[in-house]
Amino acid sequence: MVSPQNEYIEESIRRHGRRLDHDERKRKKEARKVHKDAAFAQKVHGLKAKLYNKKRHNEKIQMKKTLKMHDEKNAKQKNDDAVPEGAVPAYLLDREGQQRAKVLSNMLKQKRKEKAGKWNVPLPKVRGIAEDEMFRVVKTGKSKSKSWKRMVTKPTFVGDGFTRKPPKYERFIRPMALRYKKANVTHPELKATFQLPIIGVKKNPQSPMYTQLGVLTKGTIIEVNVAELGLVTTGGKVLWGKYAQVTNNPENDGCINALLLV
Amino acid sequence: MATSIYNFKRIAPVPESSDFLDIVLSKTQRKTPTVIHPGYKITRIRQFYMRKVKFTQETFDEKLRQILEEFPVLDNVHPFYADLMNVLYDKDHYKLALGQINTAKHLIDAVGKDYLRLLKFGDSLYRCKQLKRAALGRMATIMKRQKDSLSYLEQVRQHLARLPSIDPNTRTLIVCGYPNVGKSSFMNKVTRADVDVQPYAFTTKSLFVGHMDYKYLRWQVIDTPGILDHPLEERNTIEMQSITALAHLRAAVLFFVDLSEQCGYSIQDQMSLFASIKPLFANKPTLLVLSKSDVCSLDAVGAAERQLVETAVRPEEGVELAQLSSYLDTGVIETRNLACDRLLMQRVELKLKGSKVSSVLNKLNVAQPGRRDTVDRPAFIPDAVRERRGRSDDSALERDLEAAHGGAGVYNVDLKKRYLLGADEWRHDVIPEIMDGKNVADFIDSDIAERLAELEREEERLAAEGLYDSPEEESDEEESRIRDVARRIRQRKQVIAHESRIKNVNRATLTNGQKAAASAPEDFARHLQLLGLDPAAAAATAAERVGRKRPRSESRDPAAVQMARASSVAARAQSTLRDRSTMGLRNARQKSIADKKKLVSQRQRNLMARAGESDRKIGMKMPKHLVTGKRSIGSNDRR
Repeated sequence: MVSPQNEYIEESIRRHGRRLDHDERKRKKEARKVHKDAAFAQKVHGLKAKLYNKKRHNEKIQMKKTLKMHDEKNAKQKNDDAVPEGAVPAYLLDREGQQRAKVLSNMLKQKRKEKAGKWNVPLPKVRGIAEDEMFRVVKTGKSKSKSWKRMVTKPTFVGDGFTRKPPKYERFIRPMALRYKKANVTHPELKATFQLPIIGVKKNPQSPMYTQLGVLTKGTIIEVNVAELGLVTTGGKVLWGKYAQVTNNPENDGCINALLLV
Repeated sequence: MATSIYNFKRIAPVPESSDFLDIVLSKTQRKTPTVIHPGYKITRIRQFYMRKVKFTQETFDEKLRQILEEFPVLDNVHPFYADLMNVLYDKDHYKLALGQINTAKHLIDAVGKDYLRLLKFGDSLYRCKQLKRAALGRMATIMKRQKDSLSYLEQVRQHLARLPSIDPNTRTLIVCGYPNVGKSSFMNKVTRADVDVQPYAFTTKSLFVGHMDYKYLRWQVIDTPGILDHPLEERNTIEMQSITALAHLRAAVLFFVDLSEQCGYSIQDQMSLFASIKPLFANKPTLLVLSKSDVCSLDAVGAAERQLVETAVRPEEGVELAQLSSYLDTGVIETRNLACDRLLMQRVELKLKGSKVSSVLNKLNVAQPGRRDTVDRPAFIPDAVRERRGRSDDSALERDLEAAHGGAGVYNVDLKKRYLLGADEWRHDVIPEIMDGKNVADFIDSDIAERLAELEREEERLAAEGLYDSPEEESDEEESRIRDVARRIRQRKQVIAHESRIKNVNRATLTNGQKAAASAPEDFARHLQLLGLDPAAAAATAAERVGRKRPRSESRDPAAVQMARASSVAARAQSTLRDRSTMGLRNARQKSIADKKKLVSQRQRNLMARAGESDRKIGMKMPKHLVTGKRSIGSNDRR
């Protein structure tokens, strides 16, 4: 017995051809497809409908773009800057240095702006977080009657050199599961995101105590290690620590996204 | 058929990455609970979302593991398949793709683990839901990055499934040679593989396998794409498949050479290819097959070319010569048989050399009995048989007789020839037919035909004399009338039967009143006429009584009514009540005794308030109102 091998489907088509109504069936199927899709779109509901509509929406956008591209290809368009850049009328030919002066003034402006907005952060306001949301009371004592211990229920940063106090006297517990060492930091000018190690928590806007505990909430300013970015100061020194502000709710997302403050 | 030892055909389809996501996420949706409310206990909410995350991670894990397990590991398959897959799919690419899938699996596991840990600290439904969302999203992102690996693996799967199922260990003939030298034609001659044959080079682009039987054994024949004579590095994928088959399969090699040079390559080229790939034929029985012998044979080529071919043939090294023409069908089977014999011989030799054979051989013993003594013990042959052997005439076989007397269809077998009867001449006697213990022949009149003829003659004579002529038709007026009436009666009966049959049908019918309203006086008259009555009298009565019912006095004769009443009422049966209490008793004394006995027997029954003998009712044994409530010792407050 010979089982079909290699390109047996193509071979069969080559030898015997397709069925006689193949093309017609294909054409009809294609013609009916729009109707079938419409029927499906009307029938579908729930999550499937949501997904389907999203997909259809994207397809339509793509279709419109394609059509527009074809239109553009065919239509003649007015060209506004037909004059090439850098072309100067004859009476201005002897003026020079304009470009350079512009650059200088731009730099000055930039510098001034930087100084003025040094403490301007992307998220100037944050939602207040009450203590009972931040901490969970841990009951201690033989009959669990004491409740002076607290467990932090938000992500925290705990430095490398941290040593726990004897557990008996430890007031604040920062669970291992909620400790983070890295943050996804976006450089606003490079428009690129890097995963950088956290050096420390500079300030938690909620309270200085949270800063001390290293709690990471939305709006917290953290210091990140930018050594791998290879940033250099104007003086030529290599930068390695830079501030960044947390822009997401780490306790909801399970990761820390931050924006580099430049 | 010899099935492949590998399940390349049974690898499950690999979905695209987007489909993959749909499959997994919809499975999560289907198989985990979907209803949760913020009012539920937080542990329940956490458990609900942790289950979702865990389930998704496990589903991903399971699906990816299935891919990893089903695709063959190149180091574990037969080197032939490993090499073939390397040629076709590029080993590095293949391993990389599987490696990436493995990495994705680990990443997803890690994500699942992380988020389960975070979910344990979730303190609201919203937070838990966000964490679940983030977890599933990250798993989906990891899967989306596997798009290329998955599509590559799907292609590999499809191609693998279409590979011919070659068993690398069985008896195999490999057909190889330059393109267009007649490899596939030979293949089609010896097997049923139906490989495409075309008059241009590289018609066969991949390995094809066909099967055949020889010496009651199953053989596989492998048709390979043509090979050109150039260094290994320059060979393309198509040629490399042939090289792979030649290198790894222990088989008989049939190297095809086209002496006619119709293939477009000179004999020198073909022989130099033979020389260059000769290392691949080492330890394999090889046949140098000169194909297309109908066009050009070895004698017809030039001396130099002939010299080339003849030097290549070395029977002591296992290289032999064969000629065939697939067009004329000459030498094909001989070539095949030669190759098969050589391979079989080699395989047996190899087996004998191997270590396994001794474990079988020491269990085998071929007994060769020696002579016990000098007594002669010949086989017993009955005298009759011995006698028969001497006779020549009788020993002739039926087959020979048939050939001698005109062959099949003409010669009739004589079944009675060897009947054992009292005398030999009786053999061909007619056998009497016996019925009910009597010989049929005894009851046959010898002159029956004669007597029949005589009877017929008499009949003819009588007919001629007019004995059978029917008598004159006597037309009797009376009889014809009777017949006519009878006919009409029969007709009428049929009509009535038919009408009653129609009437029995279960459907709405007219009531008598409706029928009367619908019928006209003419119908009534016709009906009367049909019954043979005079409708005139009826019409007269009808005319006389317009709009008036028939009075009771008119309807029936009073005397007749009286008579009818008298005949219908019979004398009423009178029954009297009798006192059964005294029945069977002789006197008053007996009766008083019986009454007493009756009272005694009824006493118990009356005590128990029974209605009668048959009253066996058992009422409630512990009525609740009597047994519940306060007790005297004060343990309960009421009874």
